[in-house]
Amino acid sequence: MADWPGAKSIRGSSYKEGKVIETVSIYLKLIKISMKSRMQYRADFFTGIISVIILNAVNLTLIGILVNRFAHLNTWNLWEMVFLYSLWVMGHSIYSLLFWHFNTLEDYLVRGTFDQFLIRPIGVLVQFLGREIQYMGIGDVIVGATGLVLSYSKLGLNWGMFEFSWLIAAILSGAIIELALAWLIACLSFWTGRSVTAYFVMMRLNLMVQQYPVDIFGTWFRVLVTGLIPVAFINYYPTLLLLGKTEQAGGWGWLGMMSPVVALLLLALAMLVWRIGIKRYSSTGS
Amino acid sequence: MRLFWSFTRQAFHNTAVYRFEFWLQLFSVFFMMYSVFWVWKILYKQSPGAFGVTLEQMVTYGILGMALETIFHPGRGPQTYITEQIRSGSIDTDLTKPLDFHVHMFARNFGETIFRFGTLAMPSLAIGYLFLDFRLPASFTNGVVFTISLFLGFMVLFSLNFLLGMLSVVTLDIRSISWAYNALVRFFAGQMVPLWLFPGFVGTLAAVLPFKSIYFIPLSIYIGKMNGIEAWQGIGFQLIWIAVLLLFGRLAWSKVHTRLVIQGG
Amino acid sequence: MIIANQLTKEFKRLKSKEGFMSGIRNLFNTDYAVKRAVDDISFEIQEGEIVGYIGPNGAGKSTSIKMLTGILVPTSGHLEVNGIVPYKDRKTNAKQIGVVFGQKTQLWWDVPVIESLRLLKDIYKVSDQQYKHNLEMFNDLLELDKFYQTPVRQLSLGQRMRADLAAALLHNPKILFLDEPTIGVDIVAKERLRTFIKEINREQKVTVLLTTHDMGDIEKLCSRMMIIDYGQVIYDGSVEQIRKTNGASRTLVVEFEQELEDFAVPRTELVKSEGRKKWYRFNRLEASPSDLITFIGSRYPIIDLTVEEPEVEQMVRTIYERQGQKVGVV
Repeated sequence: MADWPGAKSIRGSSYKEGKVIETVSIYLKLIKISMKSRMQYRADFFTGIISVIILNAVNLTLIGILVNRFAHLNTWNLWEMVFLYSLWVMGHSIYSLLFWHFNTLEDYLVRGTFDQFLIRPIGVLVQFLGREIQYMGIGDVIVGATGLVLSYSKLGLNWGMFEFSWLIAAILSGAIIELALAWLIACLSFWTGRSVTAYFVMMRLNLMVQQYPVDIFGTWFRVLVTGLIPVAFINYYPTLLLLGKTEQAGGWGWLGMMSPVVALLLLALAMLVWRIGIKRYSSTGS
Repeated sequence: MRLFWSFTRQAFHNTAVYRFEFWLQLFSVFFMMYSVFWVWKILYKQSPGAFGVTLEQMVTYGILGMALETIFHPGRGPQTYITEQIRSGSIDTDLTKPLDFHVHMFARNFGETIFRFGTLAMPSLAIGYLFLDFRLPASFTNGVVFTISLFLGFMVLFSLNFLLGMLSVVTLDIRSISWAYNALVRFFAGQMVPLWLFPGFVGTLAAVLPFKSIYFIPLSIYIGKMNGIEAWQGIGFQLIWIAVLLLFGRLAWSKVHTRLVIQGG
Repeated sequence: MIIANQLTKEFKRLKSKEGFMSGIRNLFNTDYAVKRAVDDISFEIQEGEIVGYIGPNGAGKSTSIKMLTGILVPTSGHLEVNGIVPYKDRKTNAKQIGVVFGQKTQLWWDVPVIESLRLLKDIYKVSDQQYKHNLEMFNDLLELDKFYQTPVRQLSLGQRMRADLAAALLHNPKILFLDEPTIGVDIVAKERLRTFIKEINREQKVTVLLTTHDMGDIEKLCSRMMIIDYGQVIYDGSVEQIRKTNGASRTLVVEFEQELEDFAVPRTELVKSEGRKKWYRFNRLEASPSDLITFIGSRYPIIDLTVEEPEVEQMVRTIYERQGQKVGVV
């Protein structure tokens, strides 16, 4: 290959493009084999999806009972609560489908599967990403979609292109924020060897925050879930925007606009920590 | 007795290695208690009458419920142990031990529970008492009966989990079922939302299922919502279900035991 | 080909506290201990060599392999594999090496072997031609086509090892790392694996580094042997050489006409007595077999006798012992 000064820059852009396409294609091939692997367990496929539907149904029922008794939760009526919940679940479903296995990183490290990644001539991340796919995310999709459609009609909403695209953006941002947070927690395995408890703790706390509108809680809480562990950006702030309830949060009401930004920042952070984590793994073993 | 303490000590040592997780869990409990505290506070401001009890009672119920989650987490118990043993193949060693498996599981579960109670539940309750308006039992009698009821609640959860563990031997993977199971148990146990708020059909259902033994009955006794005759009726309910579930547990174990021995683990 | 120079790897391990209230104290523990898993080792391996890498567990074998394959970064020292520094150019190095871990498979567990191979073909960018050619070779030498379609989880250990070897060699790597490849495999399958490795080495000049506990592997495959203990290479040379330097020991096996009471023979050590046979170990530099036979034969009638050479295993054990004495370890 000629190596004259111009060559690098010309090669640069299409080279990068080529690399991206290549990586995506490898990812798809890996996912295909993971799908095939999963399909070997037929029964698990159905029970998983049904189990998740039940799980979400239970959560919604609990909310329903509260609203039934108290007519509303700090001005949030039943369908607004359903909308809040469903918005979260839609984003969560993407996470469940494609990235749920991130929290099992510690298993990969202990069992030597991670070492296998390091021995191959392709990126570690691609291999890790493509390693597993979880069909249970489909259960989340079903619940989330149903919830959104129902609450949309019950609330008498009337959206245009803008709102619908914003909905998509919110869902994607939500998925990315969850992914980034779970990823950061998974990276703990590089340092402490375990991340499972931290992961489940986060999931449990997250559930609490996603189910109830943040304005119920005190200021400390709001600062925590907005500034420190920004899970409020997953569904709370976007919901305020989409349902026109921005007054609920006073001056903070318009933060929903920031969701995509927060998502991308967190993602960048997660990727950075991931890289540092791998470096550490390479120097300290397991 | 020695058996219980050995399992308790084991739990101790494990946590020492995962020290970070300890602090994390403590934080988590506090977070949950805090959330529940606020939810009830706001709702009480909205419609004080709808509770059926005072705000203090409600908050105490909620906080205690969250603290107890550290020991009553449905996802933690004999079923996780059994699944793990089967997966790694070491279930054989359990079979050859000169100890009744049912009892073995109980000792293990109880030991771990005591440990978690002491290290997680108690400190978090202390924090709840200091910062979140957590109250002491409605009366001394209530406190005593509560303790009995709490133990019985543990027994119910244990026997349910044991049955789930037996199921896992047959189906090999209960991970997917576990999520639904955990959610359902928590819901019907009235961990956060007490059962007297459940309307219509759901309420009736919750009243007959065993799950309320785990959180609802002990918690109600504690805050003084269930007193005197009602309290003892609650205890009775728990005892009946314990008997039924343990019986099923033993039946299931004898069937499963034969199966395991034949298949060779 | 492979050059290691003063290669060292240190690990920091948290010192667990014992004793009184150890549980609680460990919650606040920050004490570290430094362990040298690989201690200043140097060696050179030429293209086409088959080198055996043996040592007790915990001696530093897997740590060395991990550094050679680019998984671990050395604490200090220099390491080069075919001109490439593994941990610096992980991906480039990956293209020229193949690795088989005895205990874990690199194949996808629930799908047929052939699917894994096809995916690896894409990952390593193996040309269609090369792929076809290699598959044919694998069918020939490993009988891979007998279980192509079987999911890996249903394979026997021997079959799985064959599949893993095929997977490791699919992209025609220059160097093959084998980590305990024959562990748990039956004799027949072992032979087949060894034949295959020898064949590959012969035909394609693939350099092989093999860690093993199995002396049979060493004797049948390796021209050269490195013994590692406590992170150091305590022996590096040909198998023949080991026999020469440590192989002065011989064992005289005598079968008598009748069962006899044990009796001593000068300059020998009676190591075993069973039925009518007795085993006498001696140093052939100190006592000549013919003298011993004369001594014995003049006292009792001999039916049969053999002179045994020491097994590699025994010689290695001697080396360990001697090393232990040097280091002052019991």
